[in-house]
Amino acid sequence: MILAASLNSALGSAGLLLMLAATTFGAFSTAWAVIVGNRRVLRQAPVYAGLAFAGAVLATVMMQRALITRDFSIAYVQQVGATTTPALYNIAAMWSALEGSILLWVLVLALFTAAVAWRFHRRRDDPLVGWAMVVMFAISAFFAFVSFGPASPFAAGPPVPVGFDGPGPNPLLQNHILVMFHPPILYLGYVGFTVPFAFAIAALITGRVGEGWLMETRRWALFSWAFLTIGILLGGWWSYEVLGWGGVWAWDPVENASLMPWLTATAYIHSVLVQERRGMLRVWNLSLLVATFALTILGTFITRSGIINSVHAFGAGDVEGYLLGLFFVVVVVSLALIAWRGDRLRSPGAIDSPISREGAFLANNLLFTVFAFIILLGTLFPLFIELIQERRTVVGGPYFDRLSMPLGMLMLFLMGVAPVLPWRKASGELLRQRLYWPAWAGVAALAIAVISGAEGWAPLAAFALAGFAAGSALRQLVLATRRQGWRGFVGRANGGMVVHLGVIMIAVGLAASNSYTQSATIPLTVGVEQSWAGHTFELVRVSETVDQRASVVKAEVLLDGRRVYEPAITKYLKLGQDIGTPSVRTGFTSDVYLTLDGTLRPSPGDTSVTLRVFVKPMIMWLWIGGGLMAFGTLLAAFPNRWHRRPTDPVSAPIERSPSAPVR
Amino acid sequence: MSPARSLNRSVKSLAGWGLVLATLVVLMAVGVTREPAPRTSGDRIDEISKRIACPTCDGESVYESRATASENIRAEITAQVNSGNRTDDQIIEFLADRFGGQVLLVPRATGVEALAWAIPVAVAIVAIAGLFVVFRRWRRESVAAATDADRELVDEALAAQRPPADLDSVFDGSPTASGSGEPAAVAGADGRRDDDRDDGHGEGEGR
Repeated sequence: MILAASLNSALGSAGLLLMLAATTFGAFSTAWAVIVGNRRVLRQAPVYAGLAFAGAVLATVMMQRALITRDFSIAYVQQVGATTTPALYNIAAMWSALEGSILLWVLVLALFTAAVAWRFHRRRDDPLVGWAMVVMFAISAFFAFVSFGPASPFAAGPPVPVGFDGPGPNPLLQNHILVMFHPPILYLGYVGFTVPFAFAIAALITGRVGEGWLMETRRWALFSWAFLTIGILLGGWWSYEVLGWGGVWAWDPVENASLMPWLTATAYIHSVLVQERRGMLRVWNLSLLVATFALTILGTFITRSGIINSVHAFGAGDVEGYLLGLFFVVVVVSLALIAWRGDRLRSPGAIDSPISREGAFLANNLLFTVFAFIILLGTLFPLFIELIQERRTVVGGPYFDRLSMPLGMLMLFLMGVAPVLPWRKASGELLRQRLYWPAWAGVAALAIAVISGAEGWAPLAAFALAGFAAGSALRQLVLATRRQGWRGFVGRANGGMVVHLGVIMIAVGLAASNSYTQSATIPLTVGVEQSWAGHTFELVRVSETVDQRASVVKAEVLLDGRRVYEPAITKYLKLGQDIGTPSVRTGFTSDVYLTLDGTLRPSPGDTSVTLRVFVKPMIMWLWIGGGLMAFGTLLAAFPNRWHRRPTDPVSAPIERSPSAPVR
Repeated sequence: MSPARSLNRSVKSLAGWGLVLATLVVLMAVGVTREPAPRTSGDRIDEISKRIACPTCDGESVYESRATASENIRAEITAQVNSGNRTDDQIIEFLADRFGGQVLLVPRATGVEALAWAIPVAVAIVAIAGLFVVFRRWRRESVAAATDADRELVDEALAAQRPPADLDSVFDGSPTASGSGEPAAVAGADGRRDDDRDDGHGEGEGR
């Protein structure tokens, strides 16, 4: 029996084994040390974290080496490797199929475990940190086990003849640079939520369910959330630039699987403020965090098991049983712990009025969790129908579009009202005063939309609400900078408003592009100019470039008489598949998106092609909004010089009599 | 109260808000009643194909998919639209009959599939009702306010307060960051005690 196919395989497996051993041993010894109070052993936790990280890095380096050297003795390299793949896409080939993407997960998880050990090394005697490390180790051990055993990327493949060459990654994963960034960044977001989850479990175990663990993990949650956001947006961008149907979001099960934890995480980073400020909603925040973590696992299960059809599914492997098991363990253990600590989780205090900052946060939480639930329902619904009626159904984009539109509107409205609300209680007078200029901002946005020709009540309402929300966010920033100078941009509330502005840009971009996209199929002949939707199109020629990897047929189309765009159809020689590659003219207010239509592959030298054209307004707002969200998150996480003394009161007392209005 | 501030107040009174509402209604009316561009057959084909699932690929609509089966359905839709005999909904029903119910991307509103619509509505209602119940309970609880003894305790603690020790590092956040940038000036100038003032802590007070 051959244990390892090659040096790459041997060292890679060894790395995974090292991680598995270090994390397993780390979990047990740290747990034991916390329980019996053995400080000497407790202090070894960072060593295990370091060893595990070293193992994960070794495995990743060996995987990359195997891919670079085209080590076809490894089954995974046979599957995704090809001698003709360009270097960049060859690096990305690691996460272009199931086993390698789990290895990426393992690497990111080991990175986070090591980072937690390093960040908290001065407090490694603290039982809270100890238990958090135990949880991190246990989850790392699980993934290391899956990657070492059932989904090993280093498994030996069947013997291949000399001169064998693999097919290379999926064609869609080797023609745009974004495949380098979208999966790793998305994984940083997914996996990052393990850290707050670990601290939440640790808080439940130690009974220190106050606000301490929350403060510790505030920035971890914030950065994970930001990575998840950017990862999702990059996925949309990739879809737009590569898939050729002119859209960014298709409500595919895998996309839904990334959106669900994002929604619960968004709810969490808002409602956490209520707990920090008022000590309330403890059970709720824990539940949101558990839900976020569990949904990342469930999402991975859904998409990797092939149980639901999706363009992203890698095909059934052996890992789905393990993932489902982990999901159930996470849910059961968390619920049991919450039930066990129920008495300590009862929080003091009460929310006095729904018209208050905390009331708005609750409404926000309601919207986001209902939204997440609807997506979960829609994603799992075909499974449910299949179970009871044994027929296939599809729940697709239009369903989600219809249900998410009212929710999106309500979210925009809330984004307008919430930032001006004070904690505890607001009066009608105060709302009239503070919402006055934001309301005019909404009117102005509506006026601009109407003047530029927008129609239909839904997008118009969305634009008005977006203007209103933007007005509120700007009001906050203006008032804060007027008082604090540049520090008025920094800190949670102010940075949060910059994030809101990004979200609003994305909402406007989505509303406009979903409502006002025009598309047409235009037959083009060389030298004849065609006009449509205010643009002119002229076919210059059809050309072909062939290399070892692929043959690319391009239609050189002169757009508006100014620049030549080259929508193409690429045939990957090893895979024999025709992949359309769109060519997009991007602008601040409108994109022109050119693809070659469908099944008819033109030949070089043809004098006519059929062009499919989309004119999509405001797509660029999505990318700018995403950048603004990332920048705002950085501002929100920026350390603030002014720390509150713990004995300072956090809010002024309110009137004792409930009937007397606060004036 | 300075004249500028009183002007500010009166502008933001009911008259000002009336103007906001009136402009809003007028603009919406203009936008909504605007004659929409006539729907071309291309628009109709797009709209219908967005609601039909590609039968061979995974979860994509015919609009998105470039598979052969989708091209065939798209050709069928084009033929149906161009013949002009059927409405959009009739064409979709026709396709569902011809290719089977699994080509529908939107669950039907009848039978078991109606649950896909009913459950979200039910959940939303339950959630909102739940929120109402919690607020009512909180309102009842919040009647129990701080007693004078509590206040005395707080006063004593504040009086005994030492200059800030390194306790600060315990707190990662700070109220200036966590609350809002609502300046104390806005609230203070109006002569009202406003809860947002606490956001100004650490700025002028206590340090």
